[in-house]
Amino acid sequence: MNRLLLAALLAFFAVGAYAAKQDLDYERLRASLNALAVDPKLGNLAPAERALAEQAVQALNDSSGGKAEHAHRLYVAERRVDIAYAAAQAVDTEGRLTQLDREHDRILIEASRREIETARMEAEKQRIASMVQAEESDRLRAEGEQSAAAAEAARAQAEQTKRIADAQAKEAELARKEAQLAELAASDLRGRLQNIRATRGAQGMQMTLDDIAFAPGRAALRPEAKSSLGKLVAFVNKDPSKPIRIEGHTDSRGNANANQILSQRRADSVRDALIAAGVASSRMTSVGLGEDNAVADNETEEGRAKNRRVDVILEDAPR
Amino acid sequence: MALTLSACAPTKPPNIGLDDAARMLADARAAGAPTYAPLELRNAEDRLSQARASFDKNHYDDASRYASESRVDSELAMVKSRLGKAREKADNRTRENAQLQQDIANGISPTAAPSGDRQ
Repeated sequence: MNRLLLAALLAFFAVGAYAAKQDLDYERLRASLNALAVDPKLGNLAPAERALAEQAVQALNDSSGGKAEHAHRLYVAERRVDIAYAAAQAVDTEGRLTQLDREHDRILIEASRREIETARMEAEKQRIASMVQAEESDRLRAEGEQSAAAAEAARAQAEQTKRIADAQAKEAELARKEAQLAELAASDLRGRLQNIRATRGAQGMQMTLDDIAFAPGRAALRPEAKSSLGKLVAFVNKDPSKPIRIEGHTDSRGNANANQILSQRRADSVRDALIAAGVASSRMTSVGLGEDNAVADNETEEGRAKNRRVDVILEDAPR
Repeated sequence: MALTLSACAPTKPPNIGLDDAARMLADARAAGAPTYAPLELRNAEDRLSQARASFDKNHYDDASRYASESRVDSELAMVKSRLGKAREKADNRTRENAQLQQDIANGISPTAAPSGDRQ
């Protein structure tokens, strides 16, 4: 009799312990999923995988099907939670990789620009030296000096001619490399414009064209930017009743007045491109705000690149 | 007579997703799981062979569970491979960019040699 009671008690506790274990598994996975959902970096990145994990964890509460079925559901739920985490981390890392690729292009282009500048200055210096040399030998010839001096001048001029040729060859080589880099930048630009996204600004939804859509110091849109504006056009056409405000901005380098003019002309370029794409000109206002509305630090190159931009705003309040 | 025959005919085994599990396992291998998620890949393989063994013994409930577990293991192996590859590329790119910046600071022309393994 006692033995029977003991067995019954044991069975009772075993069932209780099993149920408690089930609850613990559920709580643990639920907590893990909740932590993922509120993670500031990963929370929004893989919603589909997170939804599947939610379902799998929820299914742990369904007690039908017995022990084997529960163990199976737990196995699946554990993996689904892992998948949700790994998928979010993958999206996050891929985003970082895109940033790093852009950074890479930016470094190369910047370095090449500086090299070309140096080479141009060198070629110019050589041209001036050559002119001086030529004048000197002309003068010596005119004075009829037969001599070592004349011979020396002629030799120096020949040497100078060679230096010019070298400098020009270097400049041409650098120009060729710049063209390659420009092609790289162009395909990067096309990719960026095709992935451009609308964000909410103070005045309404907006899209931002960043500075690589323009050549440095120039107001015209690059041709490859013009041909990749589909996303932007679709964005402004989504709600044809809303007025469009186009704001040009620059960084703080250089003269403020010139910056204001450049930002106005860039905003105008974007407006003209939108008109060419069939957007009604009556909806659009373009303004140049110069360097006054910085969105990032003007002390760093990265910050300045962010500040050079054109915002296209779909205004909330009708004009 | 006909009645007896039809009663004795073996019932058609249910479709429990064995083929899908095998396909996803192959996908995971192709995605680089042997390198990036060997443990998860191993789990997926084990579950698939257990699913097949149960299926051969006509234990369809067990087979179905194992097949489903194998599929979710393969899925995990795939996403971990994607993550591993992205991390590897990002690490390489970070190093390259730092090297480039340093070269430029040291006056070495970065455009002199073709750089990187852009795809």
